[in-house]
Amino acid sequence: MSGTVNVTVDGKQVAVPGGLNLIEAARYAGKSVPHYCYHPRLSVAGNCRICLVEIQGQGKLQIACNTRVTEGMSYFTDNERVRKAREGIMELLLINHPLDCPICDQAGECKLQEYAVEHGSGITRYAFEKVRKPKNVSWGDKVVFDSERCILCTRCVRFLDEVAGTPEVGLDMRGEKCTLVVKGDGKLTSPYQMNVIDLCPVGALTSRDFRFKSRVWFMHFTDTVCTSCARGCNVTVGSRGDRVLRMVPRANPDVNHNWMCDHGRLHYAFVNDETRLTVPRVAGKGAPYAAAIARAKAILEGARGQGILAVASPFMTNEELFAMKELLDRLGVEDRFFLKPMGEGDDLLVHPEKCPNARGAALLGFAEAAAEWPSKEYGALLHFAPHEGADLPEEALKRAKRRILFSLKEREADVCFPLTTWIEKDGTVVSAGDRLQRLTKGITFEPTLVTERTVLDRLHASLDASHRPPDTAAQALARLAAALPAFAGVTWTRIGPLGMKLEATGAPA
Amino acid sequence: MIRETRVMLEHAGDPAQKTLAGYRKHGGYQALAKALREMKPEEVTEEVLKSGLRGRGGAGFPTGRKWKFVPKTNKKKYIAVNADESEPGTCKDRQIMENDPHQLIEGTLLAAYAIGAETCYIYVRGEYPHSIRALEDALDEARGAGLVGRDIMGSGFSCDIWVHPGAGAYICGEETALLTSLEGNRGYPRLRPPFPAVEGLWKSPTVVNNVETLSCVTHILRRGASWFSSLGCEGSTGTRLFCISGHVRNPGVYELECGKFTLRELLMELGGGTPSGRPIKGVLPGGSSMPVLTAAELDVRFDLDSIAKAGSSLGSGAIMVFDDSVSAVDVALNISQFYSHESCGQCTPCREGSDWVRLMLDAVRRREAGTKDVALLLDVLDRIEGNTICALAEAFCWPVRSFVKKFGAEFEAHLKERASA
Amino acid sequence: MADFSPELLAKVKDLWKRYPERKAALLPAMHLIQKERGGWFSPETIRDTAELFEVPDIHVQGIVGFYDMFHDEPVGRHVVRLCKTLSCKLRGADELRAHIKRTFGVDHGETTKDGAFTFRCFECLGHCTTAPMMLVDEERHENLTAEKVDRVLGGLR
Repeated sequence: MSGTVNVTVDGKQVAVPGGLNLIEAARYAGKSVPHYCYHPRLSVAGNCRICLVEIQGQGKLQIACNTRVTEGMSYFTDNERVRKAREGIMELLLINHPLDCPICDQAGECKLQEYAVEHGSGITRYAFEKVRKPKNVSWGDKVVFDSERCILCTRCVRFLDEVAGTPEVGLDMRGEKCTLVVKGDGKLTSPYQMNVIDLCPVGALTSRDFRFKSRVWFMHFTDTVCTSCARGCNVTVGSRGDRVLRMVPRANPDVNHNWMCDHGRLHYAFVNDETRLTVPRVAGKGAPYAAAIARAKAILEGARGQGILAVASPFMTNEELFAMKELLDRLGVEDRFFLKPMGEGDDLLVHPEKCPNARGAALLGFAEAAAEWPSKEYGALLHFAPHEGADLPEEALKRAKRRILFSLKEREADVCFPLTTWIEKDGTVVSAGDRLQRLTKGITFEPTLVTERTVLDRLHASLDASHRPPDTAAQALARLAAALPAFAGVTWTRIGPLGMKLEATGAPA
Repeated sequence: MIRETRVMLEHAGDPAQKTLAGYRKHGGYQALAKALREMKPEEVTEEVLKSGLRGRGGAGFPTGRKWKFVPKTNKKKYIAVNADESEPGTCKDRQIMENDPHQLIEGTLLAAYAIGAETCYIYVRGEYPHSIRALEDALDEARGAGLVGRDIMGSGFSCDIWVHPGAGAYICGEETALLTSLEGNRGYPRLRPPFPAVEGLWKSPTVVNNVETLSCVTHILRRGASWFSSLGCEGSTGTRLFCISGHVRNPGVYELECGKFTLRELLMELGGGTPSGRPIKGVLPGGSSMPVLTAAELDVRFDLDSIAKAGSSLGSGAIMVFDDSVSAVDVALNISQFYSHESCGQCTPCREGSDWVRLMLDAVRRREAGTKDVALLLDVLDRIEGNTICALAEAFCWPVRSFVKKFGAEFEAHLKERASA
Repeated sequence: MADFSPELLAKVKDLWKRYPERKAALLPAMHLIQKERGGWFSPETIRDTAELFEVPDIHVQGIVGFYDMFHDEPVGRHVVRLCKTLSCKLRGADELRAHIKRTFGVDHGETTKDGAFTFRCFECLGHCTTAPMMLVDEERHENLTAEKVDRVLGGLR
């Protein structure tokens, strides 16, 4: 299996790793072989037949997905014979397909559409009534099934069996009457069930949450990381008009392969919440940022003698935490904590830490808050409220005379700054296994919003005119990396779209 | 005059042959005793190889070579006997199972000994309740006599044989679909590689052999490879069972040596010609999966290679005859109905294509198609054939194409009747 | 365990011993189950079978849907399967089908009003040299004529 193998793809010689199948090997020659049923993370089914290629010396065309490279093999992915066979498969896939693209959610990202354009003949020769099968079948509250659109590739069947470990979709009937069925009461139960929507190469499985919300070509896509737990599944967020419409997993072999949990996928309503705080509040009244920062400065300066309690949030990015650290250093604050929301985990992806960056907070010198709060009294509290999970207990809040809060919703405080969500800013987080990953800004929820790092830096600058805050997240990261050994040598570019392991922390992978 | 050479069916008329005592009276289980006492497993395989025996299920693969593909590992090995006789026109294995089941059991044990299998399953199609009962009765007797089970004949060799009923799916006669079905699933053919001899039942090496093939093994080991290969002709050694059905005066299952006569002689002498006295219009010489031969093509010598040279195949030994009162369109449609009903639905070209072909032929029959639709039909067959997981697609592409090509004039005339009507 | 007769359960347990995995005994066991449960697989019977074999219910359902001899709808007291494939067709199967429709009022997939039998046209039943033929439950009737069909099917009422 190991070692390198020399193959010739469409006349081009390439060296590829041994053990590759012909679809993967063709990529080394810059060729893409169309495929529906094949998926690198699932067992080979070989049923769609669109990946047929011609291997020199073999009479019949062979499916590329089930054939592995051998030394000296030469094969063709787009000669006349292969093209004709592919055109035939495309035609056969479409004869019973409803061709209801105008009302299909998959339109625009549908492999049937793409391959029909690329490999189809463009005409219909089928002159008979199409086979009728069940449509708009509810597979529970998340997935909707259309059997007429289904090409029976069985990716969903294999995913639920092989990856999710819940074999709850199967095949019924025979021949052209074949259809998918769900076990028991017909409702899926897997907490990973929505992955079948992404896996479905056609519009047979659609998301009830996303259904009919938008044509995909009107949407804006942002590659970022899910923040529902410490796993940090790589995702692509789809938005339109600065509101999030959906989240789908983005392949990362070191984190989440091609999957994500349904909870994380559907956990974005708080972003779009129109009752969110969008301007700072001072003593319960709306105020410009300058006024709120001035008030916060006054509170912090006034509290110096009596002590300041700082409670960060594990939803903050490393750069925000670093800006907070610099401010606290300047103020000489010693009591620095953060709250870590915990919950259930599982063997696949879901991590028990229900926040993206508890590890980052710890690396930046914040201590995980104990169950019992010190009985000390403080002059002021500077607190980033967590997006979810238990907030500071009332008794802790009451220890401080004055409160400066950062919150998604308005809270009772002397100064309350709006929080922004993970999709509204650039930054980095330290995911499970000490993996440093990038968040990328995808939307601007409200143009008036100022992100937390800027607020912290402006507050810092108001206390110390010599503070020269970094401009971009990349610059902030560079500053952080220079200051903290755990982040030594890290740069925005080095992290890349798939993240990197923080070696200096010495944590196991 | 063509005469039968009865080996497998020699005692088929004797009701006692079904019993162990009756079978033993005619030399039953002596081949097994000899093999277990005097031969190494490899020698059994060599004998079969030497006999020239080729599979009788349809593909005609040399049996000894198939056995030799089994890797010599310590892994469990299996024999799966293909008794899912479902090819239209075929009812020969049933004669063996119902009339002389012990020769199959003996042959199965010999194959198991040769490859080192300790468990064998006889997968009998569910529509054969009589065969199932006959085999189970015979197995009970054999088990009781220590011929099946532990330490057979005191040789130290142990082997169980179980009858496994199918439930009505032609595809399960395809050897990998048979294995998938036997494991308790929908009968889907498997991707090759891996081949069953390497990875079959429960991922263990498995040899799949047809009922008639294994029955021949019994006689080869009983009377020797050279005796067997002296029968028939080169490439078609031994005797073979042929089912002659359709428009013949004497339909039946005949045991014959190939290469001694032509197809026409066979149909006229043994078959007795058509009952109506009308001329034969076409013959499917090897089940409905094979290209049709027209009346003009019947003077071909009757053996595997000669029929292959004539563009068809002996397939499963089912010879179906139709006279000139029958419309070629009707026959082609009947065949396509069968395959579209039996397509398992796993892979795209067969699932979608088998039904499309049926619909096109039905449109021709109803004269709702034009001559250009016949060209379309041929083109669609080209897109299907060779591109599927198993051979079921070829099994309808070959006969349908042969009908369209060989009876093209009739297809055209049939369609023109609409214009004139 | 599901509500099957002790005799059936004993037979199924015996079948299990023949295979390295219980699941392999599904087809033979389902023939017995179908017979005990009135000739067809109701959703309840599918669930019971799945429970007995510890497989998902859809696995059993998928098998019922795949194999022609398992029924997913109620059937009459007997099941009549008339072969319709080529050798039988050449020997008059189509005419027999029409005859059965005229005489007994049932076509493919239908059950006689009195519930005596369900009639199904089946693909090749493997009795090509004695065509046309039909199976009535597990008994075969070969070299059929209209008169023979009348006699056999009439006797089912």
